[in-house]
Amino acid sequence: MKRWPKTDIRHCRYWNLDARFVILFLCLLPVPLILVASQEQTSTPLTSPSATPGKFVDITARSGIDFRYQASHTSQKYLPETMGAGVALFDYDNDGRLDVFLVNGAPLSDPTPKGTIPQKTGPQYWNRLYHQKTNGTFEDVTEKAGLQGTGYGMGVAVGDYDNDGYEDLYVTAYGGNKLYHNNGNGTFSDVTQKAGVGGSGWSTSAAWVDLDGDGFLDLVVLRYLEWDFDDIWCGEHKEGYRAYCHPDFFKPISPLVYHNNGNGTFTEVASKLGLARPGKGLGLAIADYDRDGHIDLFVANDSMVEFLYHNKGNGTFEEVGLPSEVAVDIDGRTYAGMGVDFADYDNDGWPDIVVTDLANQRYALYRNNGDGSFTYASTTTGISKMTLAHSGWGIRFLDYDNDGWKDLLIAQGHDLDTVELTHPNLRYREPMLLARNTGKSFVDVSAESGAIFQKPWVARGMATGDLDNDGRVDAVVNTNEGPAYVLHNETPTENHWILLKLAGHQSNRDGIGAEVKAVTASGAQFATVTTTSSYLSSSDKRVHFGLGKSGVVQQIQVRWPSGIVQTLKDVHANQILQIDEPSGSPRW
Amino acid sequence: MWVSLLVACVCAVASSAQTSGDLALGLSEFNKGNFTSAAALFARAEEAAPGTTDALLHASKAYIHLEQFTAAEGALRRYLLVHAASGDALYLLGYVLHREGKAAESLETYTKAAQLRTPIGDDLKIVGLNYVLLNDYPDATKWLEKAVEAEPKNKEAWYFLGRAYYTKSRLPEARKAFLTVLELDPRDAKAENNLGLILESEAQPDAAMDAYRKAIRWQEQSPHPSEQPYLNLGSLLMEQSQVREAVALLQKAVELAPKDAICRLKLGTAYLRLGKLADAQRDLERAVQFAPDDPATHYQLGKLYKEMKALDRAKAEFDRTAELQSRAASPKPQ
Repeated sequence: MKRWPKTDIRHCRYWNLDARFVILFLCLLPVPLILVASQEQTSTPLTSPSATPGKFVDITARSGIDFRYQASHTSQKYLPETMGAGVALFDYDNDGRLDVFLVNGAPLSDPTPKGTIPQKTGPQYWNRLYHQKTNGTFEDVTEKAGLQGTGYGMGVAVGDYDNDGYEDLYVTAYGGNKLYHNNGNGTFSDVTQKAGVGGSGWSTSAAWVDLDGDGFLDLVVLRYLEWDFDDIWCGEHKEGYRAYCHPDFFKPISPLVYHNNGNGTFTEVASKLGLARPGKGLGLAIADYDRDGHIDLFVANDSMVEFLYHNKGNGTFEEVGLPSEVAVDIDGRTYAGMGVDFADYDNDGWPDIVVTDLANQRYALYRNNGDGSFTYASTTTGISKMTLAHSGWGIRFLDYDNDGWKDLLIAQGHDLDTVELTHPNLRYREPMLLARNTGKSFVDVSAESGAIFQKPWVARGMATGDLDNDGRVDAVVNTNEGPAYVLHNETPTENHWILLKLAGHQSNRDGIGAEVKAVTASGAQFATVTTTSSYLSSSDKRVHFGLGKSGVVQQIQVRWPSGIVQTLKDVHANQILQIDEPSGSPRW
Repeated sequence: MWVSLLVACVCAVASSAQTSGDLALGLSEFNKGNFTSAAALFARAEEAAPGTTDALLHASKAYIHLEQFTAAEGALRRYLLVHAASGDALYLLGYVLHREGKAAESLETYTKAAQLRTPIGDDLKIVGLNYVLLNDYPDATKWLEKAVEAEPKNKEAWYFLGRAYYTKSRLPEARKAFLTVLELDPRDAKAENNLGLILESEAQPDAAMDAYRKAIRWQEQSPHPSEQPYLNLGSLLMEQSQVREAVALLQKAVELAPKDAICRLKLGTAYLRLGKLADAQRDLERAVQFAPDDPATHYQLGKLYKEMKALDRAKAEFDRTAELQSRAASPKPQ
C-alpha cells in the first residue's frame, strides 16, 4: 500500500441410543513413565485464572524421537527447501496411545536439472513412524511399518478411508503422493497405484473428509504452484542475498479431489464438485461454518485470495471467500496464507478461522458472524499486534489450560533465510507463540510458558494431541533442516477436561466432520471432528474440551455426518470417552 | 526541486549569453519568473536569427518551468541540430525526457551527454530515477549511490536512494539514507515520514506513529504539505482500531490529495467501519474511479454495497476483486 515516492488408556465406551447410555467398558491405562516427574508439578493451585501461563516442556531427548528434517538447501534457493514438512499424531495400532509420523525431504543436487523428481536415497531422508510404548517413550518402527517413503515429502493426512478401524496415511510430496493402507498388524501397504491417488505436481496439505455423505472419506489434496527446478534468481544480485522467489513468480494450480468409491479406488472429481479453482494452497481445514449440516472447506493460499468452499448440499461447492469476507485482510490485501485452523474460539457455536502468514502481515483471525459472513478480528482481539513481527506456519486452536476457551499455539519462523540481511528486526528462526484466550481477547503468554518459547526454531509443520492421555493437549513440531520437537503440556491446572473419541458406523469410522457440542454450567463449547488443520499436518482426531471448574458435562451432543444427532447427559469429566454412532435415521 | 537547480543553471547561462533584442528581453522576463512571455521572446529571437544564438536552449528552460515538456523537448532537439556538441543541452534533454516518462530515451541521452561532460550529482540522480521508472532497482540503486558519492550533500539524491532501498526492503540502508537527509535538513518531513514507514516495516507501530506525527508538525508551515504522513498515521491508527481518530487525519489527507485513490480508499473504509455508509460510498466510489484496477478498492466497495443490501452491486465488486487479485497473483515478467 505504500507507494513510490510514496510507493493442538482410559477408554470409556458409551453407546447412546435414544439418549440412554449404555456403558460398554471402562479401562484405565497405566500412566506413562515419561510423565511421572512432570505430573508432580500439576498440583499447583491456580492463583489467578485470568493470568494462567502455559507450561510446555521439550521432552524430545527423553522421548526416543530422534528425527531431523532434511531440506537439502542449495545455492539455487529452490522453493521446496524452505517449505518444511508435516507431522501426524495418530494411533495406528489402536493401543490408545498416540504415535508420531514425521515427513522428510530428499537430496537435491546443486543445481538440480529441470524436470527432476527428487528421491530419497538413504535412511537420513526417510519419513519416520514412532510407536508410543506403554511407558510413554517412542520406538522407531518405520522399516517394520514400511513407511520410509520415496520423494521429497511435504504433508500428511490421517484417515480410515476403508472404515476397517485402522488409520491410514496419505503422504504428499513434490512430484507425486503415496497412500498407505494400514494392515492392522503394524504394517502399511502402498496402495497408491490401485487407489489412483498418486497425483502430480507439488502437493501440500491434504484432508480426509466425506464430501458427499456416503460414509466413506474422500480426499482433498492441495497443490502449491506450477513449479519446476528452474534457475530463477530472486532477491538482490549480491553475494549472500539470493532469496527464495515470491509465489507471484509462479502460476496457481488446481487441487486434486478424490472421491472414495468405497472399494479401495478413488476417482478425481475436483472440477465436477466445483473445487478446481486454481490456488496456491498450503493450509487446509474443515468445518460446517454455516451449520447447514454440510461440511465446508477453507484453503489457505499463499499470496493470493484465500478460499472458502461452501458445500451447497447437493454434492457440489461454491467458492465464497470474498463475499464471506475471509479472502483478504481488513484492508482488502492478500497475504501469505500458510497454516490454518477452523474452530469456534469464542464459544458462540459458529466455527471461526485463523490463518498464519508472514511478518508484517499479521495472522488473520476471522470471527464467524453466524450469517454466512465473518469479521476480521485480528485487530480487536490482540492477534494483530502480537503477530506483527512473526511468521507463522503450523497453528491450532487448543485449550492448553482447560479453562474452556480455545487458545492458540503457533509454530513460527520466516521463510527467507536471508531476511535478517534486509530486515534486521525480523528473524528466520523464531520461538513458538502461545496466545491465551481470555474469553474476550488473546494475550501473548509465551514468555511465561516455558523455555521452548525462548528457543528460535525454523518451525513448519505442527500437530497437536494428548500424547499421554492426561487431558492436556501436547504438540509435535517439525522444523526445517532441524530436529522434530515433542512439546509436553505440563500446564499446572486443576481444571477438568474430557476427550471424545468418536466411532462412526453409518458415518465414516473416524467420525470426521461430526459436530460436537459440550455443555457445562459455564456454557457451551463446539468442535468439529477432524484430523486436518495447521500446516501440512494431521492432528489427534479426538475432540478435547477443557471444562474449567465443571466436573460434569451436562450434555454432549453429536451431530454425525450421517445426520444422526446423538445426546449424552451428565457425563463425568476427566475421562476419555468413546462415543459410537447409534443406528437410526437422520434428524435434520 | 530540480527546477531550482535549473534556475541557477539558466542564470549562469544568461550571464554569458547574448543580451541583445528579444533574447535580452526574454532573459529579463525569465529572471522575473515570467516564463510564458520569456518563452515567446526566446522563440521570436530564434526566428530572427535561426541557429545563431542560445535562444532555443533558454526557451527549453522556460518550458520546463511551465512544465511544458513536449515543447521543451522540441526546442532542445532543434537546438542540438546546430549545437550537437552542447553537453548542457544534452543533459537538459535527458532531464526533459525523464519528466516525460521516456526513461529509456533519457538514459540514451545521458549516455551521449556523459561523453561531452562529466555528470554531476543531479545528473546521476536523474539517471538513477530513470532506472526506477524502468523498475530496475539494482541499477537505480547503483546510480543513486554514485550520485551521493559525487555529491555527498545532495539531499534529494539521498532521499531517492533511501526510497530505492526501502522499495527493495533494504531497510538498514534505507534508514541510513533518510537519516543522512535529516542530517542535511533536520526538519525534512519527507525523510521523517519514510523513517516512519521503516519503523512500521520493523513492527514498531508506536515509534512509527511518532515519526508520522513529527513529519506532520514539520510540514505545518510548508506551502505544499504532503498528504503522506496523514495517510500513514491514519492508516496505522485504523490498524489499531482507533478509527475515529484516524478519520480526521484521513480527511486531511484527502483534502491535500483529493484525487489520490489510496487516501479516498482509507477514508471510505474508515467511514464504513464507523457505519457512515453514505460518506463511505462517496469516497469508495471515488477511489474506484481513481484506481479502477486496485482490487482492495473494489473489495471495500463490495463490502459497503453488501452492508447497504445492494447485493447485486456487491457481487459485481467482489467478482471484479477476484479478477484483479487473480491477475496480481499471476507470474510477472522476469
